[in-house]
Amino acid sequence: MNNPITVTPINHIEFPDLQEVWRSKGLLFYLVLRDLKVRFQQTAIGVLWIVLQPLIQLLIFYVIFGILVKIPTEGIPYPVFYMSGFIVWQLFFQIVNSSTYSLLGNIGIITKIYFPRLILPLSTTIGALIDFVIMFILLLVFLLANHYPITNRYLLLPVLVLLVMVYSLGVGLLFGALMVVFRDTKNLLGFILQVWMFVSPIIYPISIVPEEYRIVFYINPLTGFIDAFRWVFLGTQYLPSVRDLGVSSIVAIALLLAGMYAFRSMENRIADVM
Amino acid sequence: MSRLAVKVENVWKEYQIRHPFESPSTSLKEVLNKPFNWLIKNNNDGRSRREKEVFWALQDVSFEIEHGESVGIIGRNGAGKSTLLKLISRITRPSRGKLAIYERVNSLLEIGTGFNTELSGRDNVYLNGSFLGMSNQEIKSKFDEIVAFSEIEQFIDTPVKYYSSGMFVRLAFSIAVHLTPELLLLDEVLAVGDAGFQKKSQEKMKELILSGATIVFVSHNATAVKEICKRAIWLDHGAIHMDGQAALVVDKYSKSM
Repeated sequence: MNNPITVTPINHIEFPDLQEVWRSKGLLFYLVLRDLKVRFQQTAIGVLWIVLQPLIQLLIFYVIFGILVKIPTEGIPYPVFYMSGFIVWQLFFQIVNSSTYSLLGNIGIITKIYFPRLILPLSTTIGALIDFVIMFILLLVFLLANHYPITNRYLLLPVLVLLVMVYSLGVGLLFGALMVVFRDTKNLLGFILQVWMFVSPIIYPISIVPEEYRIVFYINPLTGFIDAFRWVFLGTQYLPSVRDLGVSSIVAIALLLAGMYAFRSMENRIADVM
Repeated sequence: MSRLAVKVENVWKEYQIRHPFESPSTSLKEVLNKPFNWLIKNNNDGRSRREKEVFWALQDVSFEIEHGESVGIIGRNGAGKSTLLKLISRITRPSRGKLAIYERVNSLLEIGTGFNTELSGRDNVYLNGSFLGMSNQEIKSKFDEIVAFSEIEQFIDTPVKYYSSGMFVRLAFSIAVHLTPELLLLDEVLAVGDAGFQKKSQEKMKELILSGATIVFVSHNATAVKEICKRAIWLDHGAIHMDGQAALVVDKYSKSM
């Protein structure tokens, strides 16, 4: 018989077996389908919820920051300005949040059956992408209503979306691994994400930040990503250079690799820790 | 020599004993008290962090299983039977030693793993089937058979949350017995459903065993082991006490009780 699978004690550094993940793509498909069906079967208006929630939030932020505070948005109508940033944030938030809980949240399955555990965060990442597409359609309606044309800049969109997904999954896997060892991560995560949202230029443009502090904001890769998305949607001045995109890609990929190592070493431990 | 299915070499498995109210993982408080302790952690054998109480669930266990063998694992509570099964099914890893697995594993440590009660029976057949390692085509081609066997044709598109517990178990079991395993790991899942269904499922189970698959079967029930398996391994306190012909081992085991 061909090569056996050998099961050995846990090494400290291991990387997920990506070939094995690929072989489990059927399971991945049914997990994505399960999450979709569960969400839409339970609620009466199903798909509308994906759109309704951000719309209500948009209304609140529009009233507070657009009408009352009058945040200067370089002449861009506040709703499209906000939504073109929020769409990035929502993708990031959903992926980070769901990947963090992917190990502990599925402990009942993990202790009963073997499958490549990476499938769990991957399935919710794909789920987040589906939400992104629905939000994107909503945003397009807003953009066209405000006479923003669809330009050839949209060609860059798939690359940007992929980058945000890679980056978010990396962050989420790191948090997920951390959660197995430090249960306090659960309490910290909500707080961290809230702060994270407000230090990212979603409800305000980066231009209102004094020049000398901007570098601090750019340490957060989301700032660059949001800038790039606004450049695509709104034709803002900021133009992502090849170099900037290159740096962001390297950071995102490095984080994903680190996240995968961390996740792998924790998935080995979790069946015993519980 | 015929071909190997599983080879277990000097396997040890250690668990930490948890005390009530002690969190299973490190808490923030602990880290704040001794911020650099996690750095001093050493490997499996050494003491790490705090003095921990350990329990060796398996101690230096070695054996081989050949293709097509049916092996029963018997022993008292806490003898290490389930740990052994979890190691072969790769849910957990050994603390020392190694295992080599030469065949595709289907493990049934419980039935209905991953069932989602919001979804219909149909959806759950596909979901559970893919968790058990069946391919999409495999599930599709066996779908009608699975449903017919479970006797819930009328309700296959009803959400599982409306099923009676009997219906749930029948559907879950039906998926399990329609696997085409090379190496099947079983953890006492045989007795389910009413008398009629039990009889049917036991026959199906025997069919599976006769199909030539390798079987590793963990049970408290010595009679079931004798009936199903040719060979038995008797575990006692994490070590192999006896390994041989099922009838022989089971008789000795029953006498020792």
